[in-house]
Amino acid sequence: MAGITLRDLGYAAAGKVILAGLNLQLDQRRIAIIGRNGSGKTTLLRLIAGLVAPSHGAVTVEGIDPYRDRKGALQRIGILFQNPEHQILFPTVEEELAFGLRQQGMTQKDALRRTRDALAAEGRAHWAQASVSTLSGGQKQWLCLQAVLLMAPETILLDEPFSGLDLPAIARVTRRLEALPQRLITISHDPASAAKAERVIWLEAGRLHADGPADQVLPQFTAEMARIGEADADADLAG
Amino acid sequence: MLTLTSPVETPLHRLPAGAKLAGLAVFTLGLFQISNLWVLAGLALALAALQLSFGRRFASHALRMLKPLWPFVLVLALWHLWTGALADGAFLVLRMGLAVAAANLVTMTTRLSDMLSVFEMLARPLSPLLPPRRLAMAFALVIRFIPNLAERMALLAQAHRARSARRPGWRLVVPAALAALDAADQAAEALRARGGAD
Repeated sequence: MAGITLRDLGYAAAGKVILAGLNLQLDQRRIAIIGRNGSGKTTLLRLIAGLVAPSHGAVTVEGIDPYRDRKGALQRIGILFQNPEHQILFPTVEEELAFGLRQQGMTQKDALRRTRDALAAEGRAHWAQASVSTLSGGQKQWLCLQAVLLMAPETILLDEPFSGLDLPAIARVTRRLEALPQRLITISHDPASAAKAERVIWLEAGRLHADGPADQVLPQFTAEMARIGEADADADLAG
Repeated sequence: MLTLTSPVETPLHRLPAGAKLAGLAVFTLGLFQISNLWVLAGLALALAALQLSFGRRFASHALRMLKPLWPFVLVLALWHLWTGALADGAFLVLRMGLAVAAANLVTMTTRLSDMLSVFEMLARPLSPLLPPRRLAMAFALVIRFIPNLAERMALLAQAHRARSARRPGWRLVVPAALAALDAADQAAEALRARGGAD
């Protein structure tokens, strides 16, 4: 079974409904998820990655349940967190990169060799022993993406991959992502960065608001965001 | 330990970590067998010469790492000046200085990952109780998150200073503890995303 299937998917935390009634079949190569802050975009990504269990319905990734079958999920899905600081677990670059490979069953020796080869291929052989705390924001992002890519998942989930990056770094990351053969599902609140997606999914208050090609969904989204921005203050409290 | 390893490559960097640690243990035990003050002073000179031979940058780094000893040296010196047992005082100060300087030298010339593999090997007899990979993971997480938490503390202190003329002091304890719990949650999720702790 190809692609990612969401069946009547819902998620609630502490009695508050964050996502509800999502039915989607995701099989395009470039998918963008757009929506305002608090619309449930990140929660949807975590459900697809199997980091949290759905409160309702089901997620299937290439035929498996990513929450229950963690081994299967590791081969199929990688996720890049919004803040690389939350993703990095190890003090040095090579340990961070080797970790995922070991989790996939490689020995430490092979994992380190693969890691060093990959660093050398990217012209960063001298990074191997570097301490992660000395890296800049863009370099940390690069490290997190590289750690995911080394695990060679079929789908990569990206949560606002450009937040916190300067313009040259955004250009570099964009180029790198465009060249990837994997399926990418990217969260964004910026319509410009979703323009090249084959399919755009617009979430609003935890529900599907629109779903279609970029040239149909994005103009509606931009107009609606401008309209909301014109209106008075953002005074509603969540919950 | 992250910034303690010297970036200046020395011949000592190439020795195996286990040998260096064993040598350090023997050296420190030996210090307490020496009863001649001149021998101790000679050792101190030899150690200083060795560190100088690795270059001025290395030697000044080594000297900076001895800084935390000064209060102890001061207390010992004052005490022995007062009791008049100057030779005893010199013994204590030299022994302490030599033991710490030698330990620093091992730290400065050993990569963290090599140090950890020695600990993993030493902990192998405990493996039924404490799986070595889990122990290594715990080491790594501690080393990763100490600078991270220090940074969060500094940010909290700055946030406090930005809006208060008073020193933050104990007021940061609760937010810092919450930040640590937050970091733990995030690390747990990051672990899950790439295969958990086993």
